[in-house]
Amino acid sequence: MTKEKGYVSFVLHAHLPFIHHPESEDYLEEQWLYEAISETYIPLLLNFQKLEEEKVDFRITMSLTPPLLNMLDNKLLQKRYIKYLKTHIELCEKELVRTKNDERVNKLSQYYLDRYTNDLHVFKDVYNCNLIEGFKHFQDVGVLEIITCGATHGYFPILYITEQTVKAQIAVGVQTYEKYFGKRPRGIWLPECGYIPEADKYLKEFGIDYIITESHGILYADPTPVYGTFAPIVSPEGVIAFGRDIDSSRQVWSSINGYPGDFNYREFYRDIGYDADYDYIKPYIASNGARVHTGIKYYRITGKNCDKDYYDIQWAKDSAEKQAGHFFDSRKAQIEKLSNITANPPIILCPYDAELYGHWWYEGPYWLYILFKKIYYDDCNFKLITPSEYIDKYPLMQVSTPCRSSWGANGYSEVWLNQTNDYVHKHLHVAGNRMVELAHLYPNEKKTSLRRKALNQCARELLLAQSSDWLFIITNGTMVDYAKKRIKDHIGRFTKLYYQITDDKIDADFLKQINKIDCIFPEIDYMIYY
Amino acid sequence: MPRKSKDELKELNNEILVKDKSKSNSKSKSKKATSKTNKVSSKSEKAITKKGTSNSTSIQVPKSKKTSSRKNVAKKKTATAKKGITLSNVEYYDLPYRYNETVVKILAQTPTMLFIYWDISDADRKAYIDKYGEDFFNSTKPVLKVTNRTMNYSFEIDINDFANSWYLHVNDADCDYAVELGRRPIYSNSNIDNYIYVSTSNDMEMPNSHILFDKLGRSVFFKNVKTNYIEEKEISSLSFIRNLGKVYDIYELYKELYDGEINIEELDKENMRLNLSSSNSSTFK
Repeated sequence: MTKEKGYVSFVLHAHLPFIHHPESEDYLEEQWLYEAISETYIPLLLNFQKLEEEKVDFRITMSLTPPLLNMLDNKLLQKRYIKYLKTHIELCEKELVRTKNDERVNKLSQYYLDRYTNDLHVFKDVYNCNLIEGFKHFQDVGVLEIITCGATHGYFPILYITEQTVKAQIAVGVQTYEKYFGKRPRGIWLPECGYIPEADKYLKEFGIDYIITESHGILYADPTPVYGTFAPIVSPEGVIAFGRDIDSSRQVWSSINGYPGDFNYREFYRDIGYDADYDYIKPYIASNGARVHTGIKYYRITGKNCDKDYYDIQWAKDSAEKQAGHFFDSRKAQIEKLSNITANPPIILCPYDAELYGHWWYEGPYWLYILFKKIYYDDCNFKLITPSEYIDKYPLMQVSTPCRSSWGANGYSEVWLNQTNDYVHKHLHVAGNRMVELAHLYPNEKKTSLRRKALNQCARELLLAQSSDWLFIITNGTMVDYAKKRIKDHIGRFTKLYYQITDDKIDADFLKQINKIDCIFPEIDYMIYY
Repeated sequence: MPRKSKDELKELNNEILVKDKSKSNSKSKSKKATSKTNKVSSKSEKAITKKGTSNSTSIQVPKSKKTSSRKNVAKKKTATAKKGITLSNVEYYDLPYRYNETVVKILAQTPTMLFIYWDISDADRKAYIDKYGEDFFNSTKPVLKVTNRTMNYSFEIDINDFANSWYLHVNDADCDYAVELGRRPIYSNSNIDNYIYVSTSNDMEMPNSHILFDKLGRSVFFKNVKTNYIEEKEISSLSFIRNLGKVYDIYELYKELYDGEINIEELDKENMRLNLSSSNSSTFK
């Protein structure tokens, strides 16, 4: 192939809310991080590494959100992840004994033992407990473009009633990125792809070139983009927007015939945490005795409404390879058709939650690996590209304002604003206004002053309260208690501190204690709200 | 809700709620106006108050197309019991009941659904009572004046003092709205003015809900983001514009992705019509 007719751009959005409880080890929610490390982040890194070793040139873009970066960098969580792995290794060793009479399961027990053992090795010995360095390496060698996100994944379309809070989300997102990657991010994943034109000026102010929007963010833009989602557009303020391709995302996401539903793939919901004898599994489930996922799963999806058959690693790989081929052929055909239509070679943007790959779709990282190899080796009319590279290559784009939109159900704000969670917003708005008020009441406090520390902690509490995750969880109906508690805690701590500051009665002990828990963004400067 | 033991509660409840002095005295006076209730009687003709109707069914519990799965790490039970290992004080917070501010805020839930919340501060309440008499809040009812600033029209809906937030359907997406909270006398022979203004909301531009083929002018602008050079391209001179329909020939897929969308039928009709007209239009050849 001499010249590519188009491009495919994968964007994986890696995000988890900041969950850090030094005061207790009983918060199961903390395990989201450990599960994501073992099932998504390490598998992605290992597959990138394999591609690098095999000298396969590829491109991928990932947003590593500020809360995730803060957690990956957190010593306590690193320590607890190691403990998590050791417990899993212990369980796998017991599993080897328990399953010794069934060869097929026993093979899987061995597989999990190897896998968790290898995770421990990779985490401790290869990455020195710091996965951020792992991702940074691939950015430095030019195959991975890392972009940032709003500071705590605050949903702009609802926060922007107090515009400074949107500005602060962007500012802290950019600052966190700079801290870990030593340069400015060119792109930002808008939390939940929530686009509002009002944020453009702040995005520009902090040097952001491009954003990712849901398909109708482009399709409903004004004026209508003449190339649809197959070319980026630039807003009047100068922010470039790439829109999600409908075709390719459907192939992966569709619950009916999407790739992750293949019958040979691992069944997420059959886990020994639920299946195994209670007394046997008790030490490995929740400390309150509730059955939870352990990550050790022996079954494949098998089919609908039927008995589940055991998982077979080779069959799963075969399916992943077949599907990678299907995706590859579909993109080839799509680009062949499109390349006659667009002025520049079309770009097919494929954004996904990173945690889909590996955590939900266990075989996802392998699928990516196979796909990237195919694109590199096979006869192909397209290339992988990052949005930045595309902009540099094809800087001429239509001027148009993207449509206010999100990637949540129905495309607007219903997920984060509905009758289950609408009680939250007035608290977020008031706290936002109060933070701005505080910054104006006490600007430029001395570096060492207690009040400055309190003001900075207020900023942390506000940001943490703003995570779109809590609203999402409430809507979704799972782990609702925890999400509601987090909103109460952060609004509560913020409000208490607010009065302590304005009454000039800051309780240093209280401040110290909540700073231990809500220790995100150690370098934050509350003056971003000024 | 993760509840603490009673003892803990007693001890901790003081933390926030009492902090705001104004709050405590507000409670007695304002009990009527604040509690959000489901009893919203939407008697007003067109008022299309979503809240009243959608309580049980239509709260479109989002199917969460994509973000869905992220955290419903299924069936896990929350273990929120704190041991207080490092924290000496156990904390417990409740959200402040209200903030004692006169405020109206509006948010866009969808292109045609506004979410409105409001409150009247104790001081303002007192001022109204001082001016209009002790019975002011019983002899008047709250109303919301909704103004579409883009299309320059407004309409009014009756609400009631049992609600402090409302979902309101508006007809025109992609427009700028503001909502004013006011009060009107319940009885016509009242000695109170016909309309008493209370507060105005923020402005809110509702999202656009469809492809804007009809707004596409004769030319579009392209910008070179490296050089900032802007060039105008006549739509009619662009050969690709004939392919616009092909580029946008994705509605079937779109419908599948967004099959919950309320006005998809309408959108679809409009889209087909526009598609048709654009492919027939001479300017596009």
